[in-house]
Amino acid sequence: MFKFRLIGIISLFSVLFVLAACSEESTSSGSSDASSNTLEVIKDRGTLNCGVNDNLTGFGVVAPDGSFEGFDIDFCKAIAAAILGDSSKVEYTPLTASARFEALGSGEVDVLIRNTTWTASRDRDLGNDFTAPTFYDGQGMMVYADSGYDSIESMSGATVCVLQGTTTELNLDDRFTGSGIPYTPLTFETNDPLQAAFEAKQCEGWTTDKSGLASKRAGFPAASGGPEALVVLAETLSKEPLGPLTRDNDSELYDVVQWVVFGMMQAEESGITSSNVSSMAANPADPGMARLLGVGFEGGEVQDFGFGISPDFMQNVLYQVGNYGEVYDRHLVPLGLTREGSLNAQWTDGGLIYAPPFR
Amino acid sequence: MPSSLFTQFKSEDSIKKKLNLLFRNRIFRRFFIQFVFGIFLLLLFFYIVDKALNLELGFGHLSSRAGFGLSHTFIIDYNSNDSRWMGYFAGVINTIRVSLVGIVLATILGIFMGLARLSPNFLINKISTGYVEFIRNTPLLVQIIFWQLILLQLPHISKALTFGGLSVFSNKGILLPIISSNENGSLWTLILFLGLIISLILRSRLFKYKEEHVDLFSPNLISFFTFVVIAIISFFALSIKLSPSVPEVNINQYGTYIQSGGFILTPQFAAVLFALVLYTGTFITEIVRGSIQSLPKGQTEAAMALGLNTYQRITLIILPQALRSIIPPLTNQYLNLTKNSSLSVAIAYPDLFMVSRTIMNNAGHALPMFVLILITYLTLSLVISLIMNIINLRVTRIGA
Repeated sequence: MFKFRLIGIISLFSVLFVLAACSEESTSSGSSDASSNTLEVIKDRGTLNCGVNDNLTGFGVVAPDGSFEGFDIDFCKAIAAAILGDSSKVEYTPLTASARFEALGSGEVDVLIRNTTWTASRDRDLGNDFTAPTFYDGQGMMVYADSGYDSIESMSGATVCVLQGTTTELNLDDRFTGSGIPYTPLTFETNDPLQAAFEAKQCEGWTTDKSGLASKRAGFPAASGGPEALVVLAETLSKEPLGPLTRDNDSELYDVVQWVVFGMMQAEESGITSSNVSSMAANPADPGMARLLGVGFEGGEVQDFGFGISPDFMQNVLYQVGNYGEVYDRHLVPLGLTREGSLNAQWTDGGLIYAPPFR
Repeated sequence: MPSSLFTQFKSEDSIKKKLNLLFRNRIFRRFFIQFVFGIFLLLLFFYIVDKALNLELGFGHLSSRAGFGLSHTFIIDYNSNDSRWMGYFAGVINTIRVSLVGIVLATILGIFMGLARLSPNFLINKISTGYVEFIRNTPLLVQIIFWQLILLQLPHISKALTFGGLSVFSNKGILLPIISSNENGSLWTLILFLGLIISLILRSRLFKYKEEHVDLFSPNLISFFTFVVIAIISFFALSIKLSPSVPEVNINQYGTYIQSGGFILTPQFAAVLFALVLYTGTFITEIVRGSIQSLPKGQTEAAMALGLNTYQRITLIILPQALRSIIPPLTNQYLNLTKNSSLSVAIAYPDLFMVSRTIMNNAGHALPMFVLILITYLTLSLVISLIMNIINLRVTRIGA
């Protein structure tokens, strides 16, 4: 009887294991599985799993009440509003820089919006698809104002703190080793021990994207001198286009994410904001605006682009989250990252924020 | 019996009764369960094979340029222009380094604390107990980060403690004076080490010979003399020049403090080492204490009756006997220490796990990389086990 029970238990476990393996296959999608459709999975599940940063003021941070907020977080909300009609239906997964691609590739998150730089090897080797960049950044170097450093060249022999598994780690080495400047990298997995080391002046420099440095500088504790004690060197070490990414061969979700971002940029260009979107939808000013908002122009047909979601998805996005400029102003202007004259201005103002036509 | 079952099966009319009959039969029941189990095993096998075929199991990318720097390199001279393989090996060596030093120090600490736990002296006894209970019951990862934060409290390098110019204590590292030599120094150290082993073997052989033959010479003197001869000959053969190396801190033209000379203990290495030694030391303490307590009390009493003092009692009677039950659990602790060193990823010590994570982030191919990591740790562990098994064999043989 005991033997019988034992075999029964073993076979039960093997059944469960196979079932678990099969169900895993249906929800997650390996990069080689062309038939996967994460968009349908999200609709069935009713929530969007979004991989985010939880420790970068302005981009992704946990608010005192436990909710997530920031520039990247708002794009998660916008995608949820477009697919599910409700910007609150997002399940946030905080990820470290070094764990983020594994989390996306394994299906733990549907979309990764975590100040991630678009590079060729990440696009191809790591099996990701990058959508339109939401923020054009560049790598910078932050030092103590009283250290006397004014350029990378002057940092000969310095120790530099950097996050592990980032493009910045490689750009840093390209810049220093490439120019024959000796340096020591201190590579941390998370930001907290890195900041502790920087505050104790164990490292002379702190390098990451300039937006990230602005965020860390703004939040630098007064006990260590506050923001005034630090300067970000003028030199930009690299191009860092940041944007959302999905898994390879996940075209339906990829297109939705891509065009939600473009829609928010186009809405800003067309002057549609969260406050006037209802009136604009009721009475669109021109056919282009009607196509963007998914309404008929002067009683005409509604043009459905066939994204697999409601044609008026941009109305939900704009009403619940806002256009690109609103999101930028809400989160990044307080950090001192002004848009005027930067790459993040609208193309009409000489920047790179440019949406292809909704047609 | 199957034929009678078959006729019985045919004679039953309702399906429920038929099934009931079948499942009451022991042979059928066993066959059925194993059949179902076998089907699922087969499905599982196909599923795994199918998944494995879709994965690229290549290590080709490890030959390309690494592109990242490492803060700690030891023995091999790695820079970012080397291949990823070199970066990985630099990480492996960092793991071996912290594990080896950790194993030696944890053993010494554990033996002393283990003896202290049995000391009749109230203060020594309680210090040891407090150490074990306090350190053993907190997570290792927390302790590593704690030590990192403690070492950050050392003064900034501009205000470093110098102790009369002989050493430098700052939160960038602890520099101690050492004796340095010209480029053949490491080769000479290796020869000295081999010479030491040779003279130790010679010594035990001579002692054995002496037991069987006449007492004409002193094995201690002869083996020591052999070692000295090896050292002197190789010293001149390699034209070694020794000079004291005192740590210095200089400021370059841009105002950066540059440390040079001496032996450097970096804060990252020190934090990992302290945490691993203290944590593993607690378990070794308990192993030593348990092994000694398991010895019959008569051993101690007999030693006392012979008039041996405390030192003689411990080194001649207690420890040699306790060693037999210490070695097997000690092996476990050595393996744990080696594996726990992977936690150093938290505080910027580039061990093999951290370097692998960096490579995976740059190049992908996570699965083959993890297989490589597992094989590396497995190899390290098996080597430790092998050495400990050899030691164990020797210890159990003595006096048996």
